[in-house]
Amino acid sequence: MTSCWWRWRRGCPWRPATRSPGPGSPGRAGPCGPRPTAAARAQISYFYLVKSLTSACSNMYSISRLHHTTSATCCCSKTWSGEKYTDPFTLGRRYLKGLYEDIRKELLICPTELKEMSEYYFDGRGKAFRPVIVVLMARACNIHHNNSRDVQASQRAIALIAEMIHTASLVHDDVIDDASSRRGKHTVNKIWGEKKAVLAGDFILSVASIALARIGNTTVISILTQVIEDLVRGEFLQLGSKENENERFAHYLEKTFKKTASLIANSCKAVSVLGCPDPVVHEIAYQYGKNVGIAFQLIDDVLDFTSSSDQMGKPTSADLKLGLATGPVLFACQQFPEMNAMIMRRFSLPGDVDRARQYVLQSDGVQQTTYLAQRYCHEAIREISKLRPSPERDALIQLSETVLTRDK
Amino acid sequence: MSLPQLLLRSPRYLRTSGTPCHLWWSQSLGTISSVGSWRGQSSKSPAYWNQVVSEAEKIVGYPTSFMSLRCLLSDELSNIALQVRKLVGTQHPLLTTVRGLVQDSRNNLQLRGLVVLLISKAAGPSSVNAPCQNYDMVSGIYSCQRSLAEITELIHTALLVHRGIVNLSELQSSDGPLKDMHFGNKIAILSGDFLLANACNGLALLQNTKVVELLASALRDLVRGVYHENFTSAKEDYITNDIGISTWKEQTFLSHGALLAKSCQAAMELAKHDAEVQDMAFQYGKHMAMSHKINSDLQPFIKEKTSDSTTFNLNSAPVVLHQEFLGRDLWIKQIGEAREKGRLNYAKLRETIKAGKGVTSAIDLCRYHGNKALKALESFPPSEARSALENIVFAVTRFS
Repeated sequence: MTSCWWRWRRGCPWRPATRSPGPGSPGRAGPCGPRPTAAARAQISYFYLVKSLTSACSNMYSISRLHHTTSATCCCSKTWSGEKYTDPFTLGRRYLKGLYEDIRKELLICPTELKEMSEYYFDGRGKAFRPVIVVLMARACNIHHNNSRDVQASQRAIALIAEMIHTASLVHDDVIDDASSRRGKHTVNKIWGEKKAVLAGDFILSVASIALARIGNTTVISILTQVIEDLVRGEFLQLGSKENENERFAHYLEKTFKKTASLIANSCKAVSVLGCPDPVVHEIAYQYGKNVGIAFQLIDDVLDFTSSSDQMGKPTSADLKLGLATGPVLFACQQFPEMNAMIMRRFSLPGDVDRARQYVLQSDGVQQTTYLAQRYCHEAIREISKLRPSPERDALIQLSETVLTRDK
Repeated sequence: MSLPQLLLRSPRYLRTSGTPCHLWWSQSLGTISSVGSWRGQSSKSPAYWNQVVSEAEKIVGYPTSFMSLRCLLSDELSNIALQVRKLVGTQHPLLTTVRGLVQDSRNNLQLRGLVVLLISKAAGPSSVNAPCQNYDMVSGIYSCQRSLAEITELIHTALLVHRGIVNLSELQSSDGPLKDMHFGNKIAILSGDFLLANACNGLALLQNTKVVELLASALRDLVRGVYHENFTSAKEDYITNDIGISTWKEQTFLSHGALLAKSCQAAMELAKHDAEVQDMAFQYGKHMAMSHKINSDLQPFIKEKTSDSTTFNLNSAPVVLHQEFLGRDLWIKQIGEAREKGRLNYAKLRETIKAGKGVTSAIDLCRYHGNKALKALESFPPSEARSALENIVFAVTRFS
């Protein structure tokens, strides 16, 4: 029964294919981001590619530094722009001063507990990963287009909106997963209860939608609406599981794209649309965000096995406990077919979680997932390198490396 | 036939039959205990109400089956149906909501969508030269206005589903296994989010940033209103909130009026009507919704046959007005007197309230809003759609 709803998309009559920007508005031109299906299909063969590559390469961890040189060689524009940068986050945050204050201002409308809940995660202690990418991309696109050194107000608004959409989805996800801690704090649902948490999520989403509408650009609205749809569809994908191994991997990447990468890809695209009329640039921004986003989530899935809960600010092996088979598990399953049964029953029997964890750590699932993430990062770098050099472009290149090397 | 089967069957039914059918959320409103209002029943005669509505439906062209086919036919929805089936036998409130959504009940309908369509038709095409794409007209209503009517219902239903979440830490053993309730929450959140995502998608397709802003702010208002309604009195159970009628009106506007008012306004914006017409549509939506809500609040106090077990909301209009006349201290004393063995004797309390001035002034308030709504309609040219909108007001303000 579970498999029958997996006929997704085929003949689904209302995919936003018909959604077209008004005449004269930029964006959505060209292949507007590969439809994830195709992307996921491509990954099946990719999966075997990774397999063969990884089996050939005995020491996987040594690769993690390899890509730095690779990135230099695959750079289309010849040189780094030379300007010294230390940390992309430092650079990005320079343009994001007052980000959380501004978000809190948006939420100010109601002086109640609802506001307190909605503000809870906007405490300035998060990594602000998404806003940083968004403003860096905005500047990289602006410079590429007409050497403009400014971030437009509307582009900064996208950074806010991206963080708000992300947070709204976190609040709902935590209720769905019955999670009790995040970023080293109790979750909203643990403090205020599930009933209120759900409304807080809806409230943040509504405020984000208002801010989005106020930008006044229908193309941008369509782009970010896609994110909301993808987030929900991703959550649905997570409910199901596949029997066939190849389908399972495609399913996993599809889910990863929708739940994590779509937000980054589409907000990158949105700021590029606002900053530059060239559809080629929009596609570069989208592809960069998509690839970094998938890499980010793959590493997140790896850290769920390799990191301690102190580092992560949330419990580890969380995915297994939720019955989810992520990258490391799927790779491990290649070596230990006995894991199949566990995946199918979603690690529901006593001891399943621990045994699966042991299998994963004995296998090279972690390394192969890391390697796959590297491939996505290379792709992201290849894309962003098509832009004219700028400190921000280089910070984005650097940022994709920190995605791989982060330990929390 | 199980619920999911019904759920899955409905699209085909919608497609083949020409008769109005209010599957989905139709009855839902009545099933959620705290909502209470918007029940499709008029003060005295449900028959009169049904007549008003069915005539109104004829005017807008085809049955108000807003939840679009594409939504009903989507795989996510089939998946929800499968998941909901797993909930059968548990105590999760989502089951009640869905049962309400699926049952076809004659007396209940998607009134918000219907009003949006009627006011669209009453306003007609704008004098400004014909708007662009997405503007084919059926029965005097632009297709984008039909989409808007659908979006209005989607938003409303999403919140309906989301307010049926349970707090896991407050569960009693009588609520059944924790696992079931958690699973129910999960499905409720996902279904609500799915409806909201569809609403966002529909809004984006309208290609009008002002309409997006209006509806997004309507969603925000609705969330705030639901929040007030559900939680402000949570700490002190069984006591009316310490608010006057003006605060009550503000909160009720958020929870019951804002969505309809702003949707009506947005419908005008879509047809490129000017600010004045938009404001009149807003006023109609707002005041009609308020009088409808007050009418609904009055039901327990004016029905001839009320069983003793009939309860009522202590934050409903007559009660809040009663408190206002009496003063909070005296009212709390009256509630205390009606309490027997820790339980509130609603029959006794109702008689106490009926003896005061709360009920009559609630009726006055209902008519006040009704008249405001009628006043707003005067700026629209006479038409059968306008008459239908007037009749809706007459139906909710008629107290024999």
